[in-house]
Amino acid sequence: MRPVAILGIGKTPFGAFPDRDLRSLAVESGQKALADAGLEKEAIEAFYLGNFAGPSFVGQSHLAPFVAGAMGLRGIPCTRVEAACASSGSALFHGVSAVGAGLYEAVLVTGVEKMTSQDTPRVAEILAMAGECCSEGKAGATFPALFAMIAKRHMHQYGTTREHLAAVAVKNHANGARNPDAHLRKAISKEQALNGKPIADPLTVYDCSLVSDGAASVVLCPLDRVRDLSRRQPVQVLGIAQTSDWVGLDRKEDITVFEAVRSAAAKAYSMARVDAARIDVAEVHDCFTIAEIVAVEDLGFAAKGQGGFWSAEGCSALDGDKPVNTSGGLKSKGHPVGATGVAQVCDLVLQVRGEAGERQVRKHDIGLAQNLGGSGASCVVTILAAA
Amino acid sequence: MTGTIYTETTIYAAAREFVNDAPYQLVIVTLGDGKRVTGRVEGERVSIDDGVEHAGDRGGVPFFRKL
Repeated sequence: MRPVAILGIGKTPFGAFPDRDLRSLAVESGQKALADAGLEKEAIEAFYLGNFAGPSFVGQSHLAPFVAGAMGLRGIPCTRVEAACASSGSALFHGVSAVGAGLYEAVLVTGVEKMTSQDTPRVAEILAMAGECCSEGKAGATFPALFAMIAKRHMHQYGTTREHLAAVAVKNHANGARNPDAHLRKAISKEQALNGKPIADPLTVYDCSLVSDGAASVVLCPLDRVRDLSRRQPVQVLGIAQTSDWVGLDRKEDITVFEAVRSAAAKAYSMARVDAARIDVAEVHDCFTIAEIVAVEDLGFAAKGQGGFWSAEGCSALDGDKPVNTSGGLKSKGHPVGATGVAQVCDLVLQVRGEAGERQVRKHDIGLAQNLGGSGASCVVTILAAA
Repeated sequence: MTGTIYTETTIYAAAREFVNDAPYQLVIVTLGDGKRVTGRVEGERVSIDDGVEHAGDRGGVPFFRKL
């Protein structure tokens, strides 16, 4: 595969925007990414759209050409990719694969979700479709409930505590408060995090990511064409991998491990020729606080079972050894499901370029993004470095 | 049919269809043959490692009761 670069990034703010529809959010992020890349839309040869549940949330299918047409991209292949919360991570994986294989010289990858037009019980019902509908769904499982069961087991096996979960929430909110595009730009205290409204025991509202609207886009091109196409400092995709696992939690031998994360990380590290120790900064999929704790273990940042202790010690803080979720993560930045994978990569590009403003970390040569689908049935890991 | 609780949670914020059931306990049970199933609990709340017995299916969902 030839090396691939990210030439431009674009994001909408994340939040609840009653006056914005799915298409206008996606178009805004795409146009921003093209402008950032310094590329005309006519140069784009293929479009990949990550979206989880547009048909359920907004009643529109055939979303890729629906969005592309409004961006002025007509006639090119337009493909929607769905992998639950890893939808746009997967769209990125397919875009990078196509450029790497030599199919296209410039590709636009967008992720979008418009969630806030539905009430909370309906949102929970739509999100639950990313689990096993015939067992988990029928029994009344929500997504917080699936991760709550992972948390209970993690606590039982390793001594992880409610305080550990709260430490992740407090850190991500502190980071999100510095992110102008974050949905909930406010710091929270440990006491608040511990005493939030119960959602699914032991998770409270402060352990759960937000229901948000938003979109994010990246422009991809082959690394050796960067100088011809743009003056922008490119960021190279050093490694990328997508893997899968059982959808139902009850099929897994040990639910405190995301095998898909472990295997995607192993493949991405191998492709990038780096190991976990070389990663300077990471965006991981904290759909729930416990998900960040499991992710930092499965990515090799912390030993198995130590993710809670590691996080509570401040290792993943903005000024820690291995800053995680400097954007605020899904917890504070927001989680428009289909936009999240590409948005993580946009935030990582800002860090790698040294353009992350108030939340810029000191060492930012190599960054890693981990995007999880469902309760671990899909995972995409992407490793980036300044080219 | 008996088994032990592998993991559990009590759900307070339910999906639309189950709003009137909340709060309710969701469990994964390890059965005698090592197979795991997702189900619900009737009666007393259960914890990890508790023994349970199958209390019948309702709407295709297995319900368990503490032993």
